[in-house]
Amino acid sequence: MLVLTRRPGESIIVGENIVVTVIEIKGGQVRIGIDAPREVDVYREEIYEQVKQENLSAIANAEQIRRAVQDPSTP
Amino acid sequence: MTDEPTRDQREHKAVLEKALHFPDGLPGLPDLENFVIVELREDGAFQQLQSLDNIDVSIVVCVPWLFFPDYAPALSDIEQAELGLEKPDEAILFVPVSIDPDSHQIFLNLLGPFVVNSRTHKGRQLVLTGTSYTTRTPIELPGT
Repeated sequence: MLVLTRRPGESIIVGENIVVTVIEIKGGQVRIGIDAPREVDVYREEIYEQVKQENLSAIANAEQIRRAVQDPSTP
Repeated sequence: MTDEPTRDQREHKAVLEKALHFPDGLPGLPDLENFVIVELREDGAFQQLQSLDNIDVSIVVCVPWLFFPDYAPALSDIEQAELGLEKPDEAILFVPVSIDPDSHQIFLNLLGPFVVNSRTHKGRQLVLTGTSYTTRTPIELPGT
């Protein structure tokens, strides 16, 4: 992993057109600004991971879920 | 002489006309772009999002408002533009259904709804930000 040191107000550039700027550092938290083209999706990693894991779980258990919703009386 | 389409070609076309296209795939499954919706119950409460790219992959889904009438996920301007949504009523929305294999508790994923443009059949899975919705919201199943 590339590791860079930045101060508030300083930025890094990723590729041609993504700019990540450190806005503020306060109380153990860093506020980050991201300028990216609209077709580039930007997510908080843990939120994206949750949705991803939930998709994989929904697919792995699809048969059991299908049975449950089609006949709720017999789990 | 014009070639009449064969029965297979007609059926293939009928499937594709009803098929949903997710250009970006799904989070965790970027290669799955094409799906059809299959009804699972006569009352229309649950459907299955069936992959056309991998026949073994399907996700059970439902329309969330049956369980959560106040559910209001916000689409960003960018997401609306990407889906070509011109009017709010063009959007069809459904959410993934999951289960705890041990307790059999059923959950709705309100954080990652699927949104489809009913006019173009283009869709995507949203990852909502700035909400208190969760990926595992428990529900009680309605009887069939």
